[in-house]
Amino acid sequence: STFLFKTSPFPLLFFSNFHSKVSFFVEFLTICIKLRGYCRRIMPEYKLHYFGIRGLGEVPRQIFALAEVKFENVAVTREDWPEFKKKTPFGQMPVLEVDGKFIPQSFAIARFIASQHGLAGKTPFEAAWVDALADQWKDFQNDFKKFWYLKLGFGEGDVDAAKVEHGIPARDKFFPLVVKQLKKNGSGFLVGDAVTWVDVLVANAVADLEEKEAGFLAEYPEVVAHQKKVHAIPALKKWLETRPY
Amino acid sequence: MPTYKLSYFEGQGLGEVSRQLLHLSETPFEDDRISQEDWPKRKDSMPFAKLPVLFVDGKPLPQSLAIARYLANQFGFAGKTPFESAWVDALGDQFKDYFSEMVPYFMALGGDNEEEKSRLQLEVAEPAINKFFSILEKRAKDNGSNGHFVGDSLTWIDIHISDHMGVGEKYFPNAYAAFPTVLALREGTVSLPKLKEWIEKRPVTPY
Repeated sequence: STFLFKTSPFPLLFFSNFHSKVSFFVEFLTICIKLRGYCRRIMPEYKLHYFGIRGLGEVPRQIFALAEVKFENVAVTREDWPEFKKKTPFGQMPVLEVDGKFIPQSFAIARFIASQHGLAGKTPFEAAWVDALADQWKDFQNDFKKFWYLKLGFGEGDVDAAKVEHGIPARDKFFPLVVKQLKKNGSGFLVGDAVTWVDVLVANAVADLEEKEAGFLAEYPEVVAHQKKVHAIPALKKWLETRPY
Repeated sequence: MPTYKLSYFEGQGLGEVSRQLLHLSETPFEDDRISQEDWPKRKDSMPFAKLPVLFVDGKPLPQSLAIARYLANQFGFAGKTPFESAWVDALGDQFKDYFSEMVPYFMALGGDNEEEKSRLQLEVAEPAINKFFSILEKRAKDNGSNGHFVGDSLTWIDIHISDHMGVGEKYFPNAYAAFPTVLALREGTVSLPKLKEWIEKRPVTPY
């Protein structure tokens, strides 16, 4: 403790004149600024901006939860959106604000957090397969939404006809690929032997489907089992129990 | 070094970015071009029954953006920091959204109905191009008009967008006239010696 006393700036504070007290404060401030820079590098400040719904914001939120990384969930209201829209890079949400700078696009956000916290596969090839499955889900969603959005009450059209024309074919093109991948991979997860952000993406979509169209995935029990396995992971389970929407 | 084979159709489309990444890095690869006639026979050997597929030591990897990102990461064209990589990814995803809006127009271009082509160019292509390329123009400027969309060096999104514009202009001349910073970025990219060399000798294809 004498070593600390002799080498620290504190003696200056107590055993000195005004000039030395100023030196102390300058040194103290420098330390604080350096510490802030260090903290920003190891613990950046994250704010996720989206509407106050699950939608495209939910998967990024779940990645944060699974990685156990703190973030501020900013719910943008319909009234505030037109003004905020102008500040976003692509006029869209979600956007992730990282120490004041934006990253748009939900998959880019998910991958950015996931890859820094061990949730994007263990090798570059695994990471690429995580990406490939996620993009395949996106292709599925582009077809499927022609039925799903109608079902949720957006747009005009015959929901039952859309289910037959778009919903069922999209389902039956995509989910066999998921089953094939689960069987080939053999770990219970989609890629490698640990959970990745595409497990979170698919499980979220599956839970949503099961919730709103019960039995829709009856012919894909492996897919439902995967969803249950992913959602049983403690950090994610806790999020699902306490999430705001 | 692993052996690479890139399987795609006889065209630029969604496969050319990956061919160019391999050429730029002077990495030998098999440029497996599949004709429309042969495609039905080859389809089942592809993981998602789609192209492109990259084979790395015989192991397949599907989905054009996943392939481009994988190769870019191998060869140093994916941004210098996680934040930059995220921005390259975000622009890639925005391209994917734009591309899916353009599909009806692309389908018409493959057919004979000239009226339909004109109608879709006006109703589908123009708005989609204006929306996406306005974003790209702003991005190129915000990045410092330095010839790149992200950071200060070449990334796969510079390559992908530049190539796509070359195809677009074949069918829609001056499609990007309102986006001078992006046009300059494209000129800089396609003039890179190794790319220029490849572009001059590659097969000429409809897309």
